Amino acid sequence: MATVSLRSLSKRYPGAENLAVDSVSLEVAHGEFMVLLGPSGCGKSTTLRMIAGLESISSGELAIEGRRVNDVPAKDRDIAMVFQSYALYPHMSVLDNLAFGLRRRGIERGEIERRVREVAATLGLADLLKRKPHALSGGQRQRVALGRAIVRDPKVFLFDEPLSNLDAALRVGMRGELIKLHHRLGATMIYVTHDQVEAMTMGDRICIMHGGKVAQIGAPLEVYRNPADLFVASFLGSPPTNLIPSRFNGEALHVGEATLRLPRSSVQEPIFGIRPEDIRIDGAAPHTEGEILAVEPLGAETILRVRLTGIAADVLVRGPRSVNAKVGERVPLAYDLAAAHLFDPATRKRI
Amino acid sequence: MRRALLLAVLTLFTAFAAGPFLWVATMSVRTTTEISLDHYAWPEKWHWEKFPAAWFNSAYNVYFENSLLVVLGAVAVLTVVGAMAAHCFARYRFRANRLLYFVIFSAIIFPPQITIISLFQILVQYQLYNSLIGLTLVYIAVQLPLTVYILESFFARIPSDLFDAARIDGYSEWQIFWKVSLPIAAPALATTVILNTILLWNEFLYAVVLITDEAKRTLPLGIQRFMGDQLEDVGMIATGLMIAIVPVVLIYAFFSEKLIQGMTAGAVK
Repeated sequence: MATVSLRSLSKRYPGAENLAVDSVSLEVAHGEFMVLLGPSGCGKSTTLRMIAGLESISSGELAIEGRRVNDVPAKDRDIAMVFQSYALYPHMSVLDNLAFGLRRRGIERGEIERRVREVAATLGLADLLKRKPHALSGGQRQRVALGRAIVRDPKVFLFDEPLSNLDAALRVGMRGELIKLHHRLGATMIYVTHDQVEAMTMGDRICIMHGGKVAQIGAPLEVYRNPADLFVASFLGSPPTNLIPSRFNGEALHVGEATLRLPRSSVQEPIFGIRPEDIRIDGAAPHTEGEILAVEPLGAETILRVRLTGIAADVLVRGPRSVNAKVGERVPLAYDLAAAHLFDPATRKRI
Repeated sequence: MRRALLLAVLTLFTAFAAGPFLWVATMSVRTTTEISLDHYAWPEKWHWEKFPAAWFNSAYNVYFENSLLVVLGAVAVLTVVGAMAAHCFARYRFRANRLLYFVIFSAIIFPPQITIISLFQILVQYQLYNSLIGLTLVYIAVQLPLTVYILESFFARIPSDLFDAARIDGYSEWQIFWKVSLPIAAPALATTVILNTILLWNEFLYAVVLITDEAKRTLPLGIQRFMGDQLEDVGMIATGLMIAIVPVVLIYAFFSEKLIQGMTAGAVK
């Protein structure tokens, strides 16, 4: 069972004041597709490189299949990694690139040949085996990089932003192929990305990182619907969650002019968070109203920027395909309170 | 018009570069008497016999062999050791990395005239004076800084992901150097091989100071033999020069394609 366990894993670079990775704990189950998601500099790549054995571990424990591997060199961890830059050996043919890792492992010639051909066939590389990397397109290089990992048949696959160098159309295609690959191989995969669409569509679970720490771990929709803190709420979703200052007065929460019946919390002035799709333009039972500042028709939906009345805050509203609204117009708004969250501005956590 | 100008410049440059070579080539098959009558004349009779005369009678075979031993030995060590040093400087973060690099590189600033007396004394002490091994070691030491400098800048441009990939593929640092770094750096290696070969093949000052034995002279010293106090055997000097030039031309022809790759290198991506 190829499980990966991170227990309070930390990384401090020599001379650096802050921890690059700050006591990250994470259990990746056998066959799970775990996504590490976060903005650049959040420590996700460093975490992955520590799992790979390319960075030393400053403190904490890393176990693969229950065996502590902190001091096991990369080559003995039985992992394979796909790099953002593909990292193909430029002086070797596609065939040699695929076979390079196998040759080191003393696998006999015929077996190497057989495995390379098999992987090349499944990835559509069979006709390119003689070519050098510089004679391949971006998508083909990506496949070779992927093939080099698959052919090794490792316990754990590690991906470091493997799709970010591809153009948009190819990226969508490769995303689908990676999902299929995961289902076919049933292998444990850890995937680093800053692209939330990749995270949402590919991950069994997402681990969102921020400032070297784990912000939240959970299934994609769970994380999306119940963000653990202000960072997750504002990072996940496009457009992100609306965050509005609010205040409890008696038994009701005041958000601008709106008076909302929400259970009272210990925090007097929480931050009210609501996703753009949970605000409706509704004249029947409005909570508040606002003035439209901008209309962005995106085809499948329309994003409205609305300045709330009585408070200096804008909210983004996700409307249907066609919205009959003009800039400067006043519209009634209704919140879906079941989907709203309150956050403590001091701890930044969800209440 | 612009094309004509370009052609004119190229013609001039070719004449500038090839002219002296052709001149020496013609002189190498003419006798000194013929040359003194008319410096630039085309050979009337081709005196090919001057080549075997120089080779056997003036001990050019010995000089050639000595030069070959010293230069090939020095270039081989320079290439391997230089590449290893460059690989380490470019690839590993360690304390005093830049300091060491600077110390090695700063040796370039001393002209040979400054160091040659102390070098002489050191070689005498270690009983390496007047020996081909001593000269080879001096050549290695003299050319190493430049070699490391050229190679380091190239190695530094090899993306570190490649090394990481090779580590994950199961290779040790030593194997990565031989199987990944060196092949990728082939254009840069060719550059240093040509550069070092040409420089050392023509090297005169260290050789003249550190070698006294007739049988241990290198080619540039051998050519000097034809320069007497009273008269110079210009014809034989030219023949000797031609013998000396041939290996350099061969080396260049062999490595030049790689050299051009090295100069236009974005070869890594």
